[in-house]
Amino acid sequence: MSLSMNPRRWLAAYLAAVVALTFVHQPWLLAALLALALACGSSERWRLLRRALKAVLAFNLSVSLGYLVVALWQDRFSGHYLLLVNLRVLLLVYLGFWFVGRVNLLQALAFSPTLSFLAALAVGQVAAFTRIVRDFRLAFASRNCAAIALADRARHASAQASHLFDKSICSAADTAMAMRSRGSFDD
Amino acid sequence: MHIPDGFISPQTYLPAYALAGVAWSWAARSLRDQLDEQTVPKLAAMTALAYGLGLVMVPMPGGTSGHALGVAMLALLFGVRLAFLSYSLVLMLQSLLFGAGGITALAINALAMGLVGSLAASLVFRALRRFGDTAAVAAAAWCSVMLPALIVALVLGLQPLIAHGADGAPLFFPFGYSIVLPAVLAPHALIGVGEAVLTLFVWRFARMRRWSLA
Repeated sequence: MSLSMNPRRWLAAYLAAVVALTFVHQPWLLAALLALALACGSSERWRLLRRALKAVLAFNLSVSLGYLVVALWQDRFSGHYLLLVNLRVLLLVYLGFWFVGRVNLLQALAFSPTLSFLAALAVGQVAAFTRIVRDFRLAFASRNCAAIALADRARHASAQASHLFDKSICSAADTAMAMRSRGSFDD
Repeated sequence: MHIPDGFISPQTYLPAYALAGVAWSWAARSLRDQLDEQTVPKLAAMTALAYGLGLVMVPMPGGTSGHALGVAMLALLFGVRLAFLSYSLVLMLQSLLFGAGGITALAINALAMGLVGSLAASLVFRALRRFGDTAAVAAAAWCSVMLPALIVALVLGLQPLIAHGADGAPLFFPFGYSIVLPAVLAPHALIGVGEAVLTLFVWRFARMRRWSLA
């Protein structure tokens, strides 16, 4: 089956699964679907599950605790609801990570030239930002053995922010010129 | 203020996708005319900045998160249409790569933060510009946070009213308006101040570099 699945079909299947899951209101069924998704997953399944758990933990904990307090206070607590919402969110996020890990997002969006064009630019810039921030952090740490004063930190942050803008605009300008040379801005 | 995945009922997010589809096609209509080799690098850099800002978020008991948006700077620099499209893309990448927000909530998040946020920023800036750029940019940025926060709170508070089981237990988001409105709006009044400072910083940077503004 996977041989006939191109990125676009994977995207459609993923979106259909997401919509279908929001119509399921039985925790046992969601738990079974999560187990099925894990069983069908690759060797990365436990890493993806840990990632999904970490991604939803803060939000779900805050909502679940809030619900617990309010529902107990109003005497209408439902354990079914807590199980339902937490399993649903975990399964949706796991599926999202699994989809992105398996399918090239830019290829999946290729059905829309505008969307894939914007996505390519944004993904490229995100990578450039990540690299620059890491380089600055390492350079700053390597040049300061003692505790760093707040004023120095502020100067560093300001220099880093300006460089970040200029550098990323330069690198995006390179991309835009390359696209211009390939006729991207021609009608 | 992302709404996470799994808290919005299909009777809310499916119509929201229909509405967002119309808005996305409106925004993309003249995209090719607006994008040239001058605009593209700046738009890409600002989109990446908005993406980074949105990831530094604090969960709130009201069922959403607090973070700077960056949508005001997109709207003031590139106009409402480009800001809306770029911010929608930011939300999609954040949800798929980091599980922040979600695919089911994407349309609502995009309409609230991307469209209403950038419209609010643009309109407030135009209305207040005669009082000076600093005041106009700051007020525009603050409103670009507060108005989307209000919409997100209204959508969340609607969930227990329209999606509940036979026993009355909620199926999606559990809190009504009496909880969600103050829980979302009060922290965002403060976040809006941070957003105003940040947007002013970017605005001055753009003026220093003599960018042509929307």
